[in-house]
Amino acid sequence: MSEETFLTDDFVGQLMSVGEVDLLVGIATHNHAKTIGNLVRTIEECLVQSFPRERIVIVNADGGSRDDTQGILLRAAPPESKNARGLTSLRTMHRISTRYANAPSPGLALRTILASAELLRTKACAIVSPENSQPACGWVTSLLRPAFQDHFDFVAPLYTRNKFDGLLARNLLYPMSRAVFGQRIRELHSGEFGFSGRLASHCLSQTVWHEEVVRAWPEYWMAISAVSGGFRCCQSYLGVKGRTETTPDLVAAIRQTVGTLFWCLEKQSDFWMDRADSEIVPTFGPDHELAPTTSRVNRKKLLEMFRDGISGLEQILNSVLHAGTFAEIKRLAALNDGFDYPDDLWARTLYEFAASYHHGVLNHDHLIQALVPLYRGRIYSFLMQHQESSPEEMETGTEHLCMEMERQKPYLMELWKSNSEVKP
Amino acid sequence: MEGDTLWFKDAIIYEVHVRVFLDSNNDGIGDFPGLTLKLDYLQELGINTIWLLPFYPSPLRDDGYDIADYTAVHPQYGTMDDFKTFLAEAHRRNIRVVTELVMNHTSDQHPWFQAARSSRENPKRDWYVWSDTDEGYKDARIIFTDTERSNWSWDPATKSYYWHRFFSHQPDLNFDNPAVREEIWNVMKFWLDIGVDGFRLDAVPYLFEREGTSCENLPETHEVLRDFRKRMDDAYPGKMLLAEANQWPADVSAYFGQGDEFHMAFHFPLMPRMFMAITLEDRKPIVEILQQTPPIPDNCQWCIFLRNHDELTLEMVTDVERDYMYDEYASEKNMRLNVGIRRRLAPLMENDRRCIELLHGLLLSMPGTPVVYYGDEIGMGDNVYLGDRNGVRTPMQWNGGWNAGFSGADPEQLFSPLISNPVYGYQSTNVLSQQRTHHSLLSFMKRVISIRKASRVFSRGTIEFLHPANHRVLAYVRELGTEQILVVNNLANSAQAVELDLSRHKGRIPIEMEGRNLFPRIGDLPYLLTLGPYQFYWFRLRKI
Repeated sequence: MSEETFLTDDFVGQLMSVGEVDLLVGIATHNHAKTIGNLVRTIEECLVQSFPRERIVIVNADGGSRDDTQGILLRAAPPESKNARGLTSLRTMHRISTRYANAPSPGLALRTILASAELLRTKACAIVSPENSQPACGWVTSLLRPAFQDHFDFVAPLYTRNKFDGLLARNLLYPMSRAVFGQRIRELHSGEFGFSGRLASHCLSQTVWHEEVVRAWPEYWMAISAVSGGFRCCQSYLGVKGRTETTPDLVAAIRQTVGTLFWCLEKQSDFWMDRADSEIVPTFGPDHELAPTTSRVNRKKLLEMFRDGISGLEQILNSVLHAGTFAEIKRLAALNDGFDYPDDLWARTLYEFAASYHHGVLNHDHLIQALVPLYRGRIYSFLMQHQESSPEEMETGTEHLCMEMERQKPYLMELWKSNSEVKP
Repeated sequence: MEGDTLWFKDAIIYEVHVRVFLDSNNDGIGDFPGLTLKLDYLQELGINTIWLLPFYPSPLRDDGYDIADYTAVHPQYGTMDDFKTFLAEAHRRNIRVVTELVMNHTSDQHPWFQAARSSRENPKRDWYVWSDTDEGYKDARIIFTDTERSNWSWDPATKSYYWHRFFSHQPDLNFDNPAVREEIWNVMKFWLDIGVDGFRLDAVPYLFEREGTSCENLPETHEVLRDFRKRMDDAYPGKMLLAEANQWPADVSAYFGQGDEFHMAFHFPLMPRMFMAITLEDRKPIVEILQQTPPIPDNCQWCIFLRNHDELTLEMVTDVERDYMYDEYASEKNMRLNVGIRRRLAPLMENDRRCIELLHGLLLSMPGTPVVYYGDEIGMGDNVYLGDRNGVRTPMQWNGGWNAGFSGADPEQLFSPLISNPVYGYQSTNVLSQQRTHHSLLSFMKRVISIRKASRVFSRGTIEFLHPANHRVLAYVRELGTEQILVVNNLANSAQAVELDLSRHKGRIPIEMEGRNLFPRIGDLPYLLTLGPYQFYWFRLRKI
C-alpha cells in the first residue's frame, strides 16, 4: 500500500527547485490578500539585512483563499534595498506556495511547512502570522537567530502586551503549562515561533496529525512536544503585540486552547508526572513587558455570565469539581458585591477539570465548555484586583499564581493517578 | 592575419609575462627566445592571442608596470631583435600579440621624471603633476591602500609634491600637457610599426585630475582616448585597444564611446561574481551583474577573465559581497592584498577539477573575449608567502624535472621560487604530465577551447538568459543568425534537475557539443535535464 502523501506534485517540484536551505519562514494563509504583500516584503527585507549569506525560502501554505492571496505573495515586488548599482542580496530569495486544501486547517498547514523544512534540510524555521502586515523587521530575525546560531530547538516569542491583553494566557495557559511541564515559557501557545530543523523532523514523524486538536491548534502541541521531548527551548523578545481586529470568541478560544492543553497533558503524562518545580529558560532580549492601558472589558457582564453559568451548569460542575471546590465557587457567586477568586481555588479548579478530562467524566467538549463561566469569574476577579495595578504588580500577581499552581501540582498528580473521577 | 577588423571578438587571449614562461639562457629569468620556443605549445592549446605583460626597461618595483623606457626591451628578457623574432613566429602561427601600454604613469626612474624633478624650470617639469601642498584632489581614492597613505608624495629635490594614483615610485603623467600626449602616441606608433596587434592600456580612468571630482573617468580622458583611437585607425587599421578600467559596467561602457574609443574593456565586476555563484550555488550574482551591464556598440566587445596577474579585485562588489568573498576564499590574512585576494584559480577552487572546469566553461561560453592566465590551464598553485602579487607570478611548470623545465639555472638563481608543495608543486602539476593523459585539465582546456572556436556564436552571438525555477542552474541561449547554442551550468556541488522553457526553440534537436550526441527533440513540455555536481552542457540546437 502506498504511503499517505499530503504534498502535491507541483509543490514537490517547487521544493526541488529551491533545494537545501538554511532558513525557512512559514506563513499559513487563508484570504490574507490585504496583508500578505506587505508582510512578505517586510520579511524579505529583514532577512536580507540579517542573513545576507544564508539560503532562505518563504513557504506559504494556503487553505483555499479566494482572494488571490497566493498570487499576491508570489508577485509581491522584492524589497527596495537595491544599492546604487542596482544590486540586491547575495542569493536568490525564494518564495513558494501551495494550496494544501480548499478550507483552512492549521494542522495541515503546519504539517506542510514542517515537511518542507525536512525536505529542504532546513536548519532553522520561523512561523509568522499573516494577520500582521507590518511586523517589525526584527521579529523574524529574533525567531530565527536563536535556532540558527545558538542551536535552540524551540523559540517562543515574548511580546510587549497591553495590560489587559492576553488574559487567558496570564490566568490559565502560562501558569498551568509552566507548573505541569516545568518550563517558564510565557507564550507556548503563540502562533508565531521559531524552531530547528531537528524539531521539525521530530514533530513531522509523530502520528498525531489526524487528531482534531492538532489539526485545530498544532502550535501548542508542537511547543509541548519540544518541552517534553528534551529539546532546547528559549524565548525571544519580538516587540509590541498588535491587537487583532476581530473580537475573539471566548468559548471557541477556550475549547481550542484548553482542549489542546488537556489533550497534551493526557499524551505527555509520562513526562510531566516525573517533574517538579519549573526551570527558567534562556531569554533573548528583554523579558515580557506590559504597556499600561485601561480595561475595556465589561465586568458587569462577566459577573452575570459567571453567576448564570454556575447555576445553569450546576449538575455538570458537580460531576467535575470536588465538592469543597464547587461549594467555595458557589459561595463567591452568591456574594453581592465584588469578590476575589483566589489563586489557590483557581489552581484547584483547573486541576480538577484536567483530572476529569483524563478520567473521561464527561464528553471532552462539554467539560471544557463548562470551564468557561468559571474562567469568567476568575477574570472578573482579576480585573477588579488589578484595575489600578502597575505592570510590576500584575507580574507579581502572575508569579504568585504560577507558584501556587506549582505548589498544588502534587494534587493534580494525585487526582490523575486515582482510579476514580474527582467527585468523592 | 589580415582582414577582419573585428578579430578581437573571436580572440582567446593567453596572458603571460615573458619572465615566467621559459628561460633560454639559464640566467633564471624567462625571456623572448624562451617564449618563442613555447609558441607551439600555445598553438596546440588553442589560444590565438597573447597578451604580454610589460617587458620594458624598468626598476621592476611593480613587476614592470613602472616603465623606465617605453621603446626598448628589458635586457633580462632579451633584445629588440628577440622580440621581433617572437612576434614574427607568433604571427606565423596565426597568434596575435597584444602588449601593455602603461600610459598613466612612468617609473620615477624614467628619464622624463628624472628631468622633471631636476629643477622646477626643467622643460619636462610639466610632464608630471606637481603641487606645493598635498591638499589637492582630496576626493580621489587611494588605490593601493595597503602601501600608500596619500596620492601625493614629497620630492625633496624640488621641495614639492608629485601626484601618483598608484605606488609613490610611479608618478602620473600630466595629460593636460599636449607634449605628453604626443609622446605617448609616438610610443604607440613605435610598437605598431614593429607589428604588435594591439595594446592593453593600463589604468586608463586616471589620466586627468580635476578638483572636486574623483579624478576618474573624466570627460577629458575620453577625449584623449578617442584621439588616440582615431589616429590608430587611420594609420594602422585592424589594431586593437583594450581598456583596463576597474569600474562598474555602466562607467566602463563609456570607454567604448560610440564605438570610437576602446575596442574592448575588461568586465571587472563579472569576475568575482562567477566565483560567488559557485560558492553560493546560485546564479543570481552572474545574472544580476549582466542585467546591470548596458549594451555596447556592435564593433566592441567585453573582455572577461577568471584570474590574472593582479589580485582578485573586490573593488566592484558590495560590502556584503566583499566580506563573503574574503571569508570564502581568503581565510588567511596573507591571502589578502589591497582590496582583493592574491590567489590563483586552482587554489581558490581548492583544486576541485569540477569547479575549475565549470568556471572555464562559463568563461568560454558567456559573451565576451576570454582571457586565460598562464598556468591556469594546468591548475598551477600560488605562493601567498611571496610579497605583493608575486605569489601568482611564479615560473611556468613544464615538467617534473630540474626547475620544472623552466630554467637550467641553479634554483637559487630563479627570479622567483617554484611552487613545490605536494598538491600544486611542479612535480605533480606540470604540462608534460598533463599532455600524457586525455583526462587532464590541460586536455580539457584544449577540447573546450576547440569547441568554443568552432562556432562564432560564442564570440559574437547574443545571450538570452533562461529562468528555470532551479536557481542553482544557470542556463542561457547564445544566438547568431540561425545558429543557437544552449548552455546549461550546474553551479551546485550536488546533482540537480532542471526544467527549461525552450518553447521558442520547439522542434530543434539539442546536440551535445563535446560528445556530439543527440538529445530528445524539444517539444511542448518544459525540457527536463539532469546535471551532476558542477556539470555543464553546451548544446547546439539543430533544426533538422
